[in-house]
Amino acid sequence: MPRWGMVIDLDKCFACQSCTAACRMENNTPPAGPDQTGRDRAILWNEVLAFVHGEYPKVEVLLVPRPCQQCDKPPCTYVCPVKATYKNEDGIVVVDYQRCIGCRMCAVACPYQVRYFNWYAPEWPAGMREHLNPDPEVAPRPKGVIEKCTFCIQRLRHAKEKAAAEGRPFNAADYQPACVQTCTGHARYFGDLDDPNSLVYQLSRSPRAFRLLEEMGTEPKVYYLKQG
Amino acid sequence: MSHLSRRNFIKLTGVTAAAVAAAAGTQSLLDHAGQPWAGMPAAAASALEEKRVRTTCALCPSGCGLEVRVVNGRAVKVEGSAIHPVNQGVCCLRGQASLEMLYSPERIQRPRVRTGSKTDPSATWREVSWDEALALVAGKLAELAADGQMHTVAFLHGDTRGSLRSVINRFMSAYGSPNTIFLESAGEHAVRMAMFLSQGINGYPVYDVNNANYVMAFGGNYLESSRHVIGALAALAFMRRGRPRRGKFVAVHPRLSLTGVKADEWVPIRPGTYGALALGMANVIINSGLYDADFVRDFTFGFEDFTDAVGASHMGFKRLVLEKYTLERVEFITGVPTADIARLAGEFATNRPAIAVMPVEPDGLPLYDALAVHALNALVGSIDVAGGVLVQRFPELTPWPLVAVPTVPSLTQPRLDAISDNPFEPLAPELLAERLAADTPYPVNVLFLLNTNPVYEHPANGKMAEALLKVPFVVSFASVPDETSAHADLILPASTFLEVWGDDFVEGTGYAGVSLRQPVVEPVHDTRNPGDVLLALAAALGDPVAQALPFPDYKTLFEHRLSAIDTDWEKFRENGVWSEMVYFHAEPGSRAWPQVVGRDRLQAPKDGRFDFFARELYAMVAGQGDPAKADLACLPHFQVPAEAGAATEYPYVLVTQGLITHPRPWPGIVPTLQESYGLQANMKWRAWVEMNPRAAKALGVQSGDRVWVESPQGRVQAVVRLYEGLWPNAVYMPPGMGHRTTIRWGRGSQAPAVIGANVNQLLASKGVTRVKVYKV
Repeated sequence: MPRWGMVIDLDKCFACQSCTAACRMENNTPPAGPDQTGRDRAILWNEVLAFVHGEYPKVEVLLVPRPCQQCDKPPCTYVCPVKATYKNEDGIVVVDYQRCIGCRMCAVACPYQVRYFNWYAPEWPAGMREHLNPDPEVAPRPKGVIEKCTFCIQRLRHAKEKAAAEGRPFNAADYQPACVQTCTGHARYFGDLDDPNSLVYQLSRSPRAFRLLEEMGTEPKVYYLKQG
Repeated sequence: MSHLSRRNFIKLTGVTAAAVAAAAGTQSLLDHAGQPWAGMPAAAASALEEKRVRTTCALCPSGCGLEVRVVNGRAVKVEGSAIHPVNQGVCCLRGQASLEMLYSPERIQRPRVRTGSKTDPSATWREVSWDEALALVAGKLAELAADGQMHTVAFLHGDTRGSLRSVINRFMSAYGSPNTIFLESAGEHAVRMAMFLSQGINGYPVYDVNNANYVMAFGGNYLESSRHVIGALAALAFMRRGRPRRGKFVAVHPRLSLTGVKADEWVPIRPGTYGALALGMANVIINSGLYDADFVRDFTFGFEDFTDAVGASHMGFKRLVLEKYTLERVEFITGVPTADIARLAGEFATNRPAIAVMPVEPDGLPLYDALAVHALNALVGSIDVAGGVLVQRFPELTPWPLVAVPTVPSLTQPRLDAISDNPFEPLAPELLAERLAADTPYPVNVLFLLNTNPVYEHPANGKMAEALLKVPFVVSFASVPDETSAHADLILPASTFLEVWGDDFVEGTGYAGVSLRQPVVEPVHDTRNPGDVLLALAAALGDPVAQALPFPDYKTLFEHRLSAIDTDWEKFRENGVWSEMVYFHAEPGSRAWPQVVGRDRLQAPKDGRFDFFARELYAMVAGQGDPAKADLACLPHFQVPAEAGAATEYPYVLVTQGLITHPRPWPGIVPTLQESYGLQANMKWRAWVEMNPRAAKALGVQSGDRVWVESPQGRVQAVVRLYEGLWPNAVYMPPGMGHRTTIRWGRGSQAPAVIGANVNQLLASKGVTRVKVYKV
């Protein structure tokens, strides 16, 4: 069973946010609009964050794309009182929207703040539902549940089905999340972290590799490579 | 733990079962009990009919290949086409969000005619059929043609893709009007003119970043809003991590944009002084003998002082630069320390191939800035070499049908935009507005508007809107109601690029290529491709217009034009793209060389020499006034740019630069782009003005304060954001905001509302704009 992981090379990431948009279109997260965005309720599973340090003219801006870190030891799953969020058999942390009671414990427990709460049933202006992805995994979530990045599990299913339909074994290279596919700087890598021949295995052991808040002991499966 | 795994397993089988159930035609098991996710397309519950359609994006001049996932006739996901040479499988956020444009509730759904007076704000629209709308236009045009008033029909257009621009030109000249006006952005115009005046190529430059060792982007926002932005991003990634030697990328701009953040070095500079910095670097490179002496001697003109055919002596680039652009003076002008200028110049000249990217900015004297920057490319011999500045090639197409267009007197009437004596100056839109409003040189009876929104882009204090009110019949091809179409008499709504047939030239690669655009979905509304509309009008008008464009529809037209391409058409259609895939560099002095230096020159000799001294300009200014001034006018130089507003009253310089989240041709609201708008400022759905904290402190304003930003042109409201990455005497406002929407975007939001503020209301059309900032 592959241990799915992602490597993001910050030297090749130009913060173009195409990952953010690809994620939205693939996973049917609703546009929040001015009012809700102002209340920090926008749901973007894969946001790019900017951190500005220093004083003019010596300014450092750190731009970090932040999907769910898909921890091997996910604190969100430990605190869920109803076991609605769990690591599935592919090692991907997902939410069962039927079980979720909306207590938001997981949102508090997640050190990366990548769990998003549906304060109301998602809304699209008239006509704009037409472009929603019809895959059942990403059906718009109801009011009162938490949602988050799933490494596009629907694409994993599609890849497995396609391999089966073509009568060949499923290969780790068959599957990549939407953000990886669309990355304009080719900065994202995806694959099996346990396969020594995979690019993600090798890059995750690069001297440039680091993980966010490594000291929390969450063992994220998303690695970053330092810029420069 | 084992208990949990079992539960997980059961859950997973649930998910798989749901997928199977969905395919089998039963209701998805993932539906929340009692909470049906109403409005989800019924597709999820019935059998999915899925296909992937290749087409070509039209949202920016990159023209990327797309592969769209279409389920049950609905476009549900846009992805990059892996076999397209421009984007190679990736897709930016604008392309991704194009589905929000396709299905936008703001779209104009069928042709509409204004009822009542244009000046009456409560006037309404009457929807009409296409037949009625076309008959109305054709009737007007035929009526004017009968009176010999063809020149009073004008066509204003912005960036167009593929053959459409030729169709417009052909339509208008066959009809008998000289007034086809391209509203090019001032910055892009300057870069194109700099290419023409120095290198003799009338086109936008192509930068071969993939193979460069040193890239210095002056101004603009190379990684966010340049013409070939997608190619630039991939090329920079390749330059860094895809090859043995890592190149260096330097960004020069008053504001630390994403380009500056992601560059290896950011050089903050006083707004509008890029040319001076380039000339200061040239000074260092020439002084220390680091320039490509062989190339400069054999393949350039005007480096040394020279004597012309009539015996008059002229100043060369070298003397000008050495005398006028000493490091101290350049530091004084630009604010870049002398040590940095010298270091950058040394790095640039010794890490060849090196590229100086010309500024695409309206600030300063854009033409001379671009000329000065491009001179650096010639100094280090980066003209048409791998890792240098390339010339975009285009394929040979089947010629247009030959028609004997009668020379009608209306064709030789003065053009509406023949404003400046200097043909190399960009069109001044506010002067055009004044002329339209004042009936100079003659009243305009019909005005077409395509892919342009001049009332938004060049409001000129309301003059543009006034001008449109003055024209009795304004025909707009707008897709959504925008600032300009609000003043139209007839709207012929254009389809989005996802609904039409079309062609597009591959650009930014150097080598020639063509992409195809095909309908991904059936038109969502009763809209048409403007190309088809023009062809229908041509047919309705009869000869000679019909003769000039004898095609039933735009698809037939471009297929005819492209039929000259020698390729397997079946593959071409399937792939959606054909290209040469290889760029052949011209060896200096070879037979191919005139194709990259001097090709398009008119007055200057086509001798294969790059002009430091622009002979094309000299042909125009020769013999007029002071010879020393004429020399200077032909050389890249720095002049203090005109400033709109006095520094005492308006202490800050306004800078603006395009963002990657700005959907250039789409004036409607694209919610996903709005939600990604201001990355460094963390501002979304709102107007903001960035200030350096020192400037804000001096003014006593804080982050989050609502302020007026006022220039001599007008004032807008915005929220202050403090940003250290900004020249302390500058303020920044983003472009592309300030459109009015009638849709309620998201819960709790207002409608109708203006989202953001239109920075164009502040900008002067030339030079540098100064503003003052004060609390509301």
